[in-house]
Amino acid sequence: MDIITKSCFSSSVRLSDSNHAVSLGFAHLQASTRFFPQTASVSFIRRKCVRAMSGDNMERGGVKPLFVKIPGSDLPTQIETRFKVTVVGVGNVGMACAQTCLTEDLVDELALVDIQADKLRGEMLDLQHAAAFLPRVKIVADTDYAISAGSDICIVTAGARQREGESRPSLLGRNLTLFKSIIPQLVHYSPNAILLIVSNPVDILTYVSWKLSGFPPNRVIGTGTNLDSSRLRFLIADKFDVNAHNVHGYMVGEHGDSSVPLWSTLTLANVPVLNVRDKNGVSYSKESLQELHRTVVESAYEVIKLKGYTSWAIGYSTASLVKSLLRDQRRIYPVSVRAKGFYGIENEVYLSLPSQLGRAGVLGVANVKMGEEEMQKLQQSAKTIWKLQSELEF
Amino acid sequence: MEASATTFFSCSLRSSATDRGRSLCFPQLKSSSKHLFSPSGRVSFSRPRNVLAVSADHHEPDGAKPMFTTIPGSDLPYHVKTSSKITVVGVGNVGMACAQTCVTEGLVDELALVDIQADKLRGEMLDLQHAAAFLPRVNIMADSDYAVSEGSDICIVTAGARQREGESRLSLLGRNLSLFKSIIPQLVRYSPDTILLIVSNPVDILTYLSWKISGFPPNRVIGTGTNLDSSRLRFLIADKFDVNAHNVHGYMVGEHGDSSVPLWSTLTIANMPVLSICDKDGVKYSRESLQELHKMVVGGAYEVIKLKGYTSWAIGYSTASLVKSLLRDQRRIHPVSVLAKGFYGIDKDVYLSLPSQLGRAGVLGVASVQMIEEERRKLHESSETIWDIQNQLQI
Repeated sequence: MDIITKSCFSSSVRLSDSNHAVSLGFAHLQASTRFFPQTASVSFIRRKCVRAMSGDNMERGGVKPLFVKIPGSDLPTQIETRFKVTVVGVGNVGMACAQTCLTEDLVDELALVDIQADKLRGEMLDLQHAAAFLPRVKIVADTDYAISAGSDICIVTAGARQREGESRPSLLGRNLTLFKSIIPQLVHYSPNAILLIVSNPVDILTYVSWKLSGFPPNRVIGTGTNLDSSRLRFLIADKFDVNAHNVHGYMVGEHGDSSVPLWSTLTLANVPVLNVRDKNGVSYSKESLQELHRTVVESAYEVIKLKGYTSWAIGYSTASLVKSLLRDQRRIYPVSVRAKGFYGIENEVYLSLPSQLGRAGVLGVANVKMGEEEMQKLQQSAKTIWKLQSELEF
Repeated sequence: MEASATTFFSCSLRSSATDRGRSLCFPQLKSSSKHLFSPSGRVSFSRPRNVLAVSADHHEPDGAKPMFTTIPGSDLPYHVKTSSKITVVGVGNVGMACAQTCVTEGLVDELALVDIQADKLRGEMLDLQHAAAFLPRVNIMADSDYAVSEGSDICIVTAGARQREGESRLSLLGRNLSLFKSIIPQLVRYSPDTILLIVSNPVDILTYLSWKISGFPPNRVIGTGTNLDSSRLRFLIADKFDVNAHNVHGYMVGEHGDSSVPLWSTLTIANMPVLSICDKDGVKYSRESLQELHKMVVGGAYEVIKLKGYTSWAIGYSTASLVKSLLRDQRRIHPVSVLAKGFYGIDKDVYLSLPSQLGRAGVLGVASVQMIEEERRKLHESSETIWDIQNQLQI
């Protein structure tokens, strides 16, 4: 790794000594002007460097170009970026989403957009400084949405965050105006993107985004109850001392107080959870499961109360959705989708249902078995959301 | 990178052929055998052959310099343990970035968080726990009582006041001194075999302080040092030459701060010295023109602090890469803050960054890289700067 070629070094010292007046090392310009016409543009220098090394001329005046193109090569000037993700909003949630996507090597280009220019630039630099620890990624940032052009996924985390004790719907008014300025810009610069909405209240804001964008519904998704479901799985796994990956089940409906855990299809190692006994021989009763549900619903509030906001968990949750989308994983996630027509829901609302996600977005909604009670709660959840939505001037 | 190991290994074989050679190659044996060997003696015996156990004063008979030199006073036992636990002290932006990146990269089985702010601490713990379904199984715990840190393989200390806008790292010092006097003894008490990894600034002096307070051998007290500076430098150069930062190799050594020393003479891109090639615009650099890049690196942290109030992501990745090298015994070389006395002509009792090989036992040795006179001189100046401050604060 640390090969020292002292002879190379001393030769370059000689070179810069003999061209003492030239500060930036344009020594090679003087040495080779007899071969090229006298112009001073940057492109001239570039061309000269390339030309000087073609054929037998590997070195001119002691200057060696780093790479030499193979003669006859046809190299495009622009390589198309494979995966580009834009994150709107560089607060704690936005940065957790961005950083986790980076660490999990999901993107080739990451664009950050926000209105606070300083904070935005600071966050971009902080990520760029980590370049040596990451695969090669292009990280850009601007208050101008032009930076988001050509994105595959646009993650929207912008908006006011829940204050302590504030319910998600009361955030609504504050975020509506904001989205009216964000969504059309994203659409303008990335007409084929998938919109992934994180801001709360996520179901309504995803609906709003769908309406504002004019996109087909498969390309407008909300993170929904993906995180709630994983919180639920964690709690159950913890109680039974197994890996959360072996607990399977969904929470559907509103991402909030009226979410619906599908107990009847929640399994642990493929055994329905209501039939499982823990190491003390205790199994869950319906009441204790309600307690569990309440804990999940309140867990976000608890974290907000303790540290002021949530970030890590939603970051991981979003990154896992990004992975399924970009890499066409066709995995099922409980995410906020256009729900009308499913499970007897009649209102035009977005809420979480188990959905298959792939490169084209929501490939379809899964037909899981729901008990009567669960279906009723789901429809109730739809009504709750519908009521709030209709109060919006929209 | 592996070529150096071959050279060293053949050297030690030659030396071990004679008694004198053996004692030169295994100085640890004579001076501290009771620390080096476990009761069975089994695992420790194999250790010195793979790890360069040559003291700083040692000179090979034929004048060749060993690749790595252990830090005097080091104690390099051989651990055998399957589950990894790290403790992060301080759950501010830096601490949490370190913790979260270590967890995401699957480096730990157990993570303990410690802080004095109980609510914030609990909130951060819960937020990470809630991500359990997306992570490999990790046991995440938190407490303001250091008992939670018991049995840690690595203790990462990020606690302390952060640099205010425009404030130099050294002026933070007074504020952090008393804090460390309460933190370090507790970590030592609950994890007497741990490796201390110090992140808080000014990192070189605080790592020195941690070493003094802990009473640990110097191989187990490390500061993140110029690991991040070096990677910032590599990024800037990679950007100029339009290559991957992984193909740029070079170190910044000395103080993690204004007097850091970029080793231009050994900085290479694709194994080509950076000073002998031109970048994608056809520009060839002299050492003077590269100073601009050095300034950007040193100023980089200040710029981020000015813009977003603090730095977090980059130092998080940097720390996680050190944790990986340590826990997984990677034997990689990182420029980190180590006890520098006796190396490169440094005669002061200071910690500063030198290219060091990291493995499960901590700092296995300091690499003997080639430095030109000017670089060596700047390194000494760096050590003087640190020494002056240390004296003023009567550490």
